[in-house]
Amino acid sequence: MKEIVIKASGVHKTYNETKVPVHALRGVDLEIEKGEFTAIVGPSGSGKSTLLNIIGGLDRPSEGKIEVGGKDISTLSDNQLIDFRRENIGFVFQAYNLIPVLTAKENVSFVMELQNRSKTEVDNRVKELLDAVGLGDRGDNRPAELSGGQQQRVAVARALAPKPTFILADEPTANLDSTSTANLLDIMARLNKEENITFVFSTHDRRVVDRARRVITLVDGKIQTDEHFKR
Amino acid sequence: MLAKISWKNIWRNPVRSFVVIGAVIMGIWALLFLMSFSNGLISSYIKNSIQNETSHLQIHHPEFHKDKEIKYIIPEAIDLENELRNDPMVKSVARRTLCNGMASSAKGGRGVMIKGIDPEKEIEVTGLDGKVTQGKFFDTKKKNPILIGEKLAEKLKLKLRSKIVLTFQDAQGEIVAGAFRIVGLYKTGNTRMDELNVYVKDSDLSRLLNMENSSHEIALVLKDFEQTKPLAAEWKKKYPELLVEHYGEISPDLDLFQEQIKINMSIFIFIVMLALIFGIINTMLMAVLERMRELGMLMAIGMNKIKVFGMIVMETIMLALIGAPIGMLFGFLTIRYFNNRGIDLTSFSEGLEQFGMDNFVRPEIGSDFYIQIAIAIFITAVLASIYPALRAIRLKPVEALRKI
Repeated sequence: MKEIVIKASGVHKTYNETKVPVHALRGVDLEIEKGEFTAIVGPSGSGKSTLLNIIGGLDRPSEGKIEVGGKDISTLSDNQLIDFRRENIGFVFQAYNLIPVLTAKENVSFVMELQNRSKTEVDNRVKELLDAVGLGDRGDNRPAELSGGQQQRVAVARALAPKPTFILADEPTANLDSTSTANLLDIMARLNKEENITFVFSTHDRRVVDRARRVITLVDGKIQTDEHFKR
Repeated sequence: MLAKISWKNIWRNPVRSFVVIGAVIMGIWALLFLMSFSNGLISSYIKNSIQNETSHLQIHHPEFHKDKEIKYIIPEAIDLENELRNDPMVKSVARRTLCNGMASSAKGGRGVMIKGIDPEKEIEVTGLDGKVTQGKFFDTKKKNPILIGEKLAEKLKLKLRSKIVLTFQDAQGEIVAGAFRIVGLYKTGNTRMDELNVYVKDSDLSRLLNMENSSHEIALVLKDFEQTKPLAAEWKKKYPELLVEHYGEISPDLDLFQEQIKINMSIFIFIVMLALIFGIINTMLMAVLERMRELGMLMAIGMNKIKVFGMIVMETIMLALIGAPIGMLFGFLTIRYFNNRGIDLTSFSEGLEQFGMDNFVRPEIGSDFYIQIAIAIFITAVLASIYPALRAIRLKPVEALRKI
């Protein structure tokens, strides 16, 4: 039996910050199973980032329910959500968002230290992850000393560090050149296949879509298509 | 981990951090110097008053202060003097005969306090011989020698070896007068006192008063100044028939000044720390607003609000604590330099002497004040960090991540 990692039921999101309410999501129902490599695509303003933020516990739905690993996160307080994200969700951001004053190693170890893991465990995992993303020799470099592609690979290693239930990547390749994009996608696809890690992307990038085994198209806050591919 | 990241964060913008550190250094340095200067000035007043006027302790007849009538003598004063001299806490003792009178010269007259002293014992208590600017300190065989203040001499237009007539009431209430020869002029640095007090030999005054071996005042200097008040309390019980007073009771303004020092210190600390708080808040707020996106990311990946709050507080404390020891060191060195050298305020001498303050101020400050400053700086840093830290934890990760 397949393990459902993410389940969205009747998710609506309405922003009331302007005079005219903006309906970013209009009743999204979605289930993502463990080990999926899913891309959420759609035109600008279709609600991709909003859906990703809600799945990631960074934002709350106006209506509906989000379950992660069977737990309803819509009802958690802000502090509970922070703890939940730390233990269950890995984030990869478009702009890498590494901590500039820390080295690559320190950026990767940071979340594990927040989890109070032992030093030995942290050191071993950092080495393992930086090797996995091909940056075993750049651990002592700060983000400013790395290329965009290398920084994004460090971000992937950081997202994987706490052993999350799944990884959310918001436009991870938007700032990367073709070589770096291909490299990053190879790494993520390998981790997905070899370690059965669940990846959910929001993207405009055709190269990402072409590698995804499931592509969900959002239009005007609704799922228009949900396609599965054998890759 | 928090300490490590906080330390690294404060060096993201070294110029800005150095501005805050510099402000802390300057603030502490200025605070220490101002306080030590004020303390030195007031200390010189207290020290001079104690040395020239009050000594550490004085003993009188309980009624003496009412009208300073000469009938209020200390019973068996010589025995008491000897007893006190043998007390292990006492350094020196001087017994005095006192009476109010009129000092007259050919040019005029003034009301004075005539103090009959034993010159040798008086030296031990007040060091009066060291204040003689002209002539000698009773080192003469001349009859009825007198030592008067320079200021009184100036007012009465008297010079060394001039004759001065003292008029006062004797023990029987008769008006008596005695002619004295000025053997020395003194200057204590307190013109009011120099104008008021004249010193004659106790034997000469007692003879004129018809009061042999009687004394109105016993002044004492202790080996340890800090023991003054406890010992006064002890002696009040031991000699209930006498009036035992410490310098603060004799001259309440001295206690007032001591209290004033403490109040001044608190006010100075408050003002400087208030200024620092606003400077630090400004800097830390800039640091937080610049890092909104990063702080949003930290909360997104699982750094809880307590840790984010702690990180900002720690950054602020680190900034302040880098500056604090340097400021204290600069302050300490400045105080030490000027304490050795003294700050020349001769141009204000007329005013200072009116209040019995030295022309040379030697800044001084107790080691406990450094501890007070360290605590104050720590509290300032914590208070200054609260607002920026609150701003940081109020961020919503999803909104902060959108900030460019």
